[in-house]
Amino acid sequence: MTRIAPLLLFLLLFFSVPGWAEEDFSLEEDPFAEPEAKEIADPLEPLNRGMFWVNDKLYVYLLKPVAKGLRVIPEPARVSVSNFFSNLGTPARAANNLLQLKFTNTASELARFLTNSTFGLAGLFDPAAKWGLEKKDEDLGQTFGHYGIGQGFYLVLPVLGPTSLRDGLGRIGDHFVDPLPPALKTEELAALRALDAENEISLDKDTYEGIRENELDPYLFVRDAYTQMRAGKVRK
Amino acid sequence: MYFKRLIPYRLLLALGVFLLAASVAAATPGPMEQARTTVDAVMAILREANLEKEARREKLSTTIRARFDFNEMSQRILATNWKNASAEQRSRFVNIFSDLLERNYIGRIESYTDEKIDFLKERVQGNRAAVDTVIVTKSAEIPISYRMVQQGSEWMVYDVVIESVSFVNNYRNSYGEILKKEGFDGLLTRMKEKLAQLEQGGDSSQP
Repeated sequence: MTRIAPLLLFLLLFFSVPGWAEEDFSLEEDPFAEPEAKEIADPLEPLNRGMFWVNDKLYVYLLKPVAKGLRVIPEPARVSVSNFFSNLGTPARAANNLLQLKFTNTASELARFLTNSTFGLAGLFDPAAKWGLEKKDEDLGQTFGHYGIGQGFYLVLPVLGPTSLRDGLGRIGDHFVDPLPPALKTEELAALRALDAENEISLDKDTYEGIRENELDPYLFVRDAYTQMRAGKVRK
Repeated sequence: MYFKRLIPYRLLLALGVFLLAASVAAATPGPMEQARTTVDAVMAILREANLEKEARREKLSTTIRARFDFNEMSQRILATNWKNASAEQRSRFVNIFSDLLERNYIGRIESYTDEKIDFLKERVQGNRAAVDTVIVTKSAEIPISYRMVQQGSEWMVYDVVIESVSFVNNYRNSYGEILKKEGFDGLLTRMKEKLAQLEQGGDSSQP
């Protein structure tokens, strides 16, 4: 074995010279390639495309104009609103970190909650991040994925947008640990959710506009980006 | 017996080649340095005051194109479709695709003028590298990783991975669907139409 080790090394070096081992055409192995997410099943494509179209119009004619209006509010204030809602998302993140047995992350989420709820003035600021406690984003969809459950199939929900069978069910589950629903009336909850969403759109740099203007098929582009993004989150 | 005696020589030769390659690599800036140089140049252009919009775009285009390998990018996006395409189809794809990207992204990066970009680390394996960076905006930190391939002394970007969404994979899948249904020429036609539409400044997808 020790005798052939140098030979193996040589062969390795020899064949790692690109071009020698390659045939007419084969893609060079890319050691850093993102593991390719499995293409998501989309049996409801016609329906999803319809909903995608509806959401597109909703975004362009209603959500975006409102968000643009919000941009008169200075950005730091809107970042604080975003922080506030993010802080309220702690129970779901902590619970899902725990379900995935990520104990350090669970503790980190709880420490963030304590820090930001107090020093961060009820979550308006995020001093915890400055002290090295980054947000550990987990949700029930990711927990399912962590235990090997696939996406099922692609779904475009009204208003809420891209999701999948798995992630959609996950959202329903996460709803149960959300502190807002039990504390508020339905209309109040809806209003706060709308504010959260509009605020996020106002902070975003027109990502969706870029996609809808420039891509050949925005529906396919978004579907694949969603699939890759979720697969990436599950891997983390 | 003869074979055994040969091994040390081969090993020596391989080692020599290896050291030579290593010394060449040490002399030129690594992938992270080269990526940083380009990013710094782009940021400098974005911050340059009193620059006409067209002149700015021109400068951005030259700077960015010098760091991107659109050929490699196109091969990876088209995968087996590249193999089956004619040389003419390949070069048409590379040209139209790079123009489309330019139209698409140059306008978009113009909104990133006061963000900070941190270069975290580089990972190098042979002639491939990944350079991990993070854009720190006021409301979020967005991880962006550049995948680069070495060509001579230059490291060229062929994929950009934003929050684990690989640009190449994204286009491979979305273009792949179109290729399946409409074939290579169908895809090229649609890309050309899109480009023409964007160049007219008219945007038919606007409401």
